[in-house]
Amino acid sequence: MAAHRSFAGYWFTAPAIILMVLILIAPVAVAAFLSFTDYSLGNSGFNWVGFDNYAKMLKRSTYQKMLIASGTYVLIVVPLSIGLGLGAALLINSVQRFGDIYKTIYFLPVMAALLAMAIVWEFSLHPTIGIINKTLIDGCGGWMEAVFSFGWVPLVNGAESWYSTSCRTEFPLWFGDKKYTMGTVAFIGIWQAFGFNMVLYLAGLTSVPRELYHAAEMDGATNGWDRFRLVTWPMLGPTTVFVVTITTIRSFQVFDTVEAITQGGPSKSTFVMMFAIYEKGIKQNLMGMGSAITIVFLIFVLILTFGQRYLVERKVHYS
Amino acid sequence: MIGNSTPFREAWKHAALILGALIVILPFYVMVSYSLKSQKEIETNTGGFFGTQEQVVDQYCVKLGNPEEACKETPVIFNYTQAVKKAPLMRYLLNGVIVTVSIFLLQVVIALPCAYALSKLRFWGRDAIFNMVLFCLLVPVHAIGLPIYIMLAEISLTNTYASLIIPWTISVFGIFLMRQFFMTVPDDLIDAARMDGMSEFSIIWRVMLPTAIPALLAFAIFSIVAHWNDYFWPRIVITGDRSLYTPPLGLREFRGGADGSNWGPMMATATIIVTPLVVAFLLAQRRFIEGITLTGMK
Repeated sequence: MAAHRSFAGYWFTAPAIILMVLILIAPVAVAAFLSFTDYSLGNSGFNWVGFDNYAKMLKRSTYQKMLIASGTYVLIVVPLSIGLGLGAALLINSVQRFGDIYKTIYFLPVMAALLAMAIVWEFSLHPTIGIINKTLIDGCGGWMEAVFSFGWVPLVNGAESWYSTSCRTEFPLWFGDKKYTMGTVAFIGIWQAFGFNMVLYLAGLTSVPRELYHAAEMDGATNGWDRFRLVTWPMLGPTTVFVVTITTIRSFQVFDTVEAITQGGPSKSTFVMMFAIYEKGIKQNLMGMGSAITIVFLIFVLILTFGQRYLVERKVHYS
Repeated sequence: MIGNSTPFREAWKHAALILGALIVILPFYVMVSYSLKSQKEIETNTGGFFGTQEQVVDQYCVKLGNPEEACKETPVIFNYTQAVKKAPLMRYLLNGVIVTVSIFLLQVVIALPCAYALSKLRFWGRDAIFNMVLFCLLVPVHAIGLPIYIMLAEISLTNTYASLIIPWTISVFGIFLMRQFFMTVPDDLIDAARMDGMSEFSIIWRVMLPTAIPALLAFAIFSIVAHWNDYFWPRIVITGDRSLYTPPLGLREFRGGADGSNWGPMMATATIIVTPLVVAFLLAQRRFIEGITLTGMK
């Protein structure tokens, strides 16, 4: 009986093991190997080029721009989507009514196909017929200009404000102007991601023991900020570590918006890593280079994941 | 809930939340509204949310030699029929269903026995296999798309259903999730089944599977949402054959062919692609949110 059962163990795990090796482990090895070659599909052979591909990534401006674009995207999307996710979670948790409605609405972008929504955003941000620039133009000379140009915006006097200047000249080509494109693409990324972070934080908040708030109150933490600083934020430590890791890994993988809207442009300002792998590896058939980018990408992911494990195990034990 | 909330504070919180909600909803509003309006109303931004629904003339229909009278349609009907007729949208949706359902079923068929063995059977090497699962959790499948593509291309499998499905058949997260769940199932239940003469194989499908329904449902939601919405992988492996396009690819194709006069039909296509999951989500929010968050750590 026992022997029979132990055989079953091998039978039951065999398909999974074979697929893990073929689909997850072998490709990493293949990419590592090919990253040292100039392999391309259809060619019978390939040359061993050593670290050439990696050296290119450091030296050539295209790949420097790629690393900068990916880094910029991650640096914008991660803090803002986490900050907004946390903010939304705290607000929803503290309002007396309608919390569930907000939660539903904020989670909608997580469910909708990003490609479809990217295209809709592109239309909404279209310079001439898009609803956003149209609204901005209609607002010129009206209350919107008054609000956004008023002297309360620090360091900006009325006439010189971004809004007023744009009214006199023109509003940006969101996806055509190097100055704005990365910000606009990142905005779509934040729009799509923050509802997911919000839900993770809401789950984290339910695990904060209420007695801690009472204890903090007795110790003199009476205002909301103190309660947040002394109780909520530390208790959310493990959630935050997880949210940061997963959001960073996902941000490094951004592809849909870039491929559908900007194609990496203008002047490579949105040439992010996943798009670079697609463009170089698959479209231009530079598999060696594509593999090198893949390996660099995996190294980033490994660093992040081990960093997360380390933090979770070492630092964030409160309960 | 926590702390003393004055009505004034409460109002500010709602103001902030409503502003956020408006920004989140904006593209959904634009998408649905444009899918209802005529080209002219879209360009001039008139007609409100629903458009005036004044009849428009289908120019293509006129070009085919039909009298103008016969080619008149209300914008909403025009947009949605164009979406279905101009591109084989139904085919794309069918492909989407075939691909997502096959992926999910294969993931379950492969992950469930493995998870059962890892949690309830004792055999030499079990810990090593579990460590392998943990190691594989580190590999994001999207990121190794290129080498998988090379492997598929070398065996001439690109531009097939197989290339859309095979790379996703193994879900190490599914194995991990199911194992964690099976660990909580009492051994007595399995021993009782063995006493009744059930084979290990039928224990999986007739004892473990029914008890694992909640975890499976969470996993199903995650898997289906991820693969219905996926654009990266189909874009890479399906390069020629339009009859293999999944919904996001089909929408992309529609956009590529648009000469700037097809916004209504395109937004109708987008609406059709986005609606199934959004409606399912609205109907069973709690489950969806739990499912996605539980399995979101993939």
